[in-house]
Amino acid sequence: MNNRNSCKDPMEVLGRSKGYSQKELIKNLPRHYKYNSNLLNQIKNTPEVILRNLGSPIAKKVDKMLKEIFAEAYRAKQFTRTEINNKSVLFGVVLLKHKVMDLVLDYFHKRWPQCIICLYNEHTQLTGIINEKGITQEIKQSLKEVVKKISRKRQISPYFEDIQFSNDEIFETLYQSQNIKERKNTRYFNSMIPKHCFKLPGMRKGVEKRFTSKNKKIEEYFK
Amino acid sequence: MPSTLEKIRILGANSKYDICASTASSRSNKYPKLFGASKKWIGATASAGICHSYTPDGRCMSLFKTLFTNKCIYSCKYCFTQGCKQKLSFTPEEYARTFMKLYSMNVVEGVFITSGVCRSADDTTEDMLEAVRLLRFKYNFQGYIHFKCLPGLSQHLLKEAISLSDRISVNSEASTTDFLSEIAEQKDYKNDIITRQRWLKAIRIKHNEEVLKKMKDQKRDNELEYQEKKIIEHRKNGYKKFRWDDAPILNSGQTTQFVVGAAEEETDWDLLKRIDWQYKAVDMRRAYFSAFIPLEGTPLAKKKAAPLEREHRLYQSDWLLRIYHYKLKDLKDILTDEGNLPFGDPKVHFAREYFKEHSLVDPNETTYQELIRVPGIGPISAKRIINLQNQNYKFTRREQLKSVGVVLKRADPFLKINGKNQTTLQKFFITNENNIFQESV
Repeated sequence: MNNRNSCKDPMEVLGRSKGYSQKELIKNLPRHYKYNSNLLNQIKNTPEVILRNLGSPIAKKVDKMLKEIFAEAYRAKQFTRTEINNKSVLFGVVLLKHKVMDLVLDYFHKRWPQCIICLYNEHTQLTGIINEKGITQEIKQSLKEVVKKISRKRQISPYFEDIQFSNDEIFETLYQSQNIKERKNTRYFNSMIPKHCFKLPGMRKGVEKRFTSKNKKIEEYFK
Repeated sequence: MPSTLEKIRILGANSKYDICASTASSRSNKYPKLFGASKKWIGATASAGICHSYTPDGRCMSLFKTLFTNKCIYSCKYCFTQGCKQKLSFTPEEYARTFMKLYSMNVVEGVFITSGVCRSADDTTEDMLEAVRLLRFKYNFQGYIHFKCLPGLSQHLLKEAISLSDRISVNSEASTTDFLSEIAEQKDYKNDIITRQRWLKAIRIKHNEEVLKKMKDQKRDNELEYQEKKIIEHRKNGYKKFRWDDAPILNSGQTTQFVVGAAEEETDWDLLKRIDWQYKAVDMRRAYFSAFIPLEGTPLAKKKAAPLEREHRLYQSDWLLRIYHYKLKDLKDILTDEGNLPFGDPKVHFAREYFKEHSLVDPNETTYQELIRVPGIGPISAKRIINLQNQNYKFTRREQLKSVGVVLKRADPFLKINGKNQTTLQKFFITNENNIFQESV
């Protein structure tokens, strides 16, 4: 694409439904695992018109990269299953290829401001921690060790002591109770939870997978 | 004594036909927090909502949705509780504690609290409110709560429910008094439903005026003018896109639900008339439709289920009324002789009728109202096109419309750019026939 022509034609930019601004790209692109500084320089030197126009190869590339980043952060917020102990430490396991640990930690911090949140990233094998003040750090230790160390220094909180009870079956029971057989729609379900989401740590053993599994018990054929 | 799990299993199954949006909170960081900015508050709401799970039919399942009790003095013919022999109730403490456990597991986003009417609406609501109070003030939960107003609830309890919840819903179930008495003869349509919906509106307006007074005291002149303008607009037009920016109560508004196909002769037109009235008269935020499913043990067990397709068409039409601001008479034109919506997208049906009499739309010259009548063009893309018009940019190729978010394959038959429009197969045949005719002549 000719740069000059694109700059002259604001139609390409105005009112566009797609694409990210240069500022957004510079801020968020370093989160991508395939990011390199050359790419960032290239973006800095490229006019916004081209970056916004998904017809150009560079825009197509960076747009895809940014979408991958945000999709991963969103899926982690959706499908990470957490536990909380009586010393107000909330912990769970995530699988993050991109550098979005801070976004996910911040999401949990806003929900549980009194807790220390520990998330173990299976991809980097680092544990991300955010404390009550919102300060984050990543350390190379297993989740168990980190939770144990942090919990040792903290006092038992009556609030969190109150919600310490077996949790294995509560969600499964709730999930099964909400199912309306007559409305089963596997295609819609698959679009809502794509297959790759079942690879996430919170969903591997998730009731959703078992409930929509194609494997039928022999009794079901005789009904 | 039944366990909590048993209660979730049965009361959850009893409430599964109640429909609600996952997290419809309009609260966000921009607006004041419900109970202040203290760190003791737990929970948050994302304005777009986050779904933590989906049921096998693809519906988002992000709220802790169970009945509070399935003991009910009413005998509605369609209702699940009719067929359920085991009668159970949560205790407020048990309900709040179970929810907090689920919230800590990151599997739910908020609460949808509904119930059968045990003894009286006020008695049951007292218990439900106790559970909500525990959530708010013992567990310091400031996340999303959707509260169901039971038929015949007293005003003072409704006020308290409003002050603690993000959204309140009053189930209409049917479109008119006659249809309601056919499926739920003990309910009084005017008194139990419409009056409660009117109260909700009145309480919100009164509260808004109080907020305005407070703002006057604070001498926030510019914002005050803005709010006053909004309120005048709101009173003139009914609820449209008005948002309670400074109101910490009921910020997700009120909703309602209809059981589609339970009453014998209820048509789509009856339902559309009713929701249109509710949008204008009682500030309804949105309506939900639940296609009737016959349930064993209920008086309507042998009745035929309503097709899901019908529910879908009603949602599409509701969208046209609520978001696109179509007029009710526009939709009347596309109804079948029986008064139901035809098979297929109502917007496409409407466009076919409309563009028979009107010329095709030229995006370079047309108005916003014309643009949103074209299938494939929504309010956002229409606004973008108008924005471009104001800046004197012209669309010269159809493909350019894609860049503003138009779904071209749907919009193409109704568009005209540079005087050219898509030739339809029908026209092609007609011209060929004419040619053949002329040749033979």
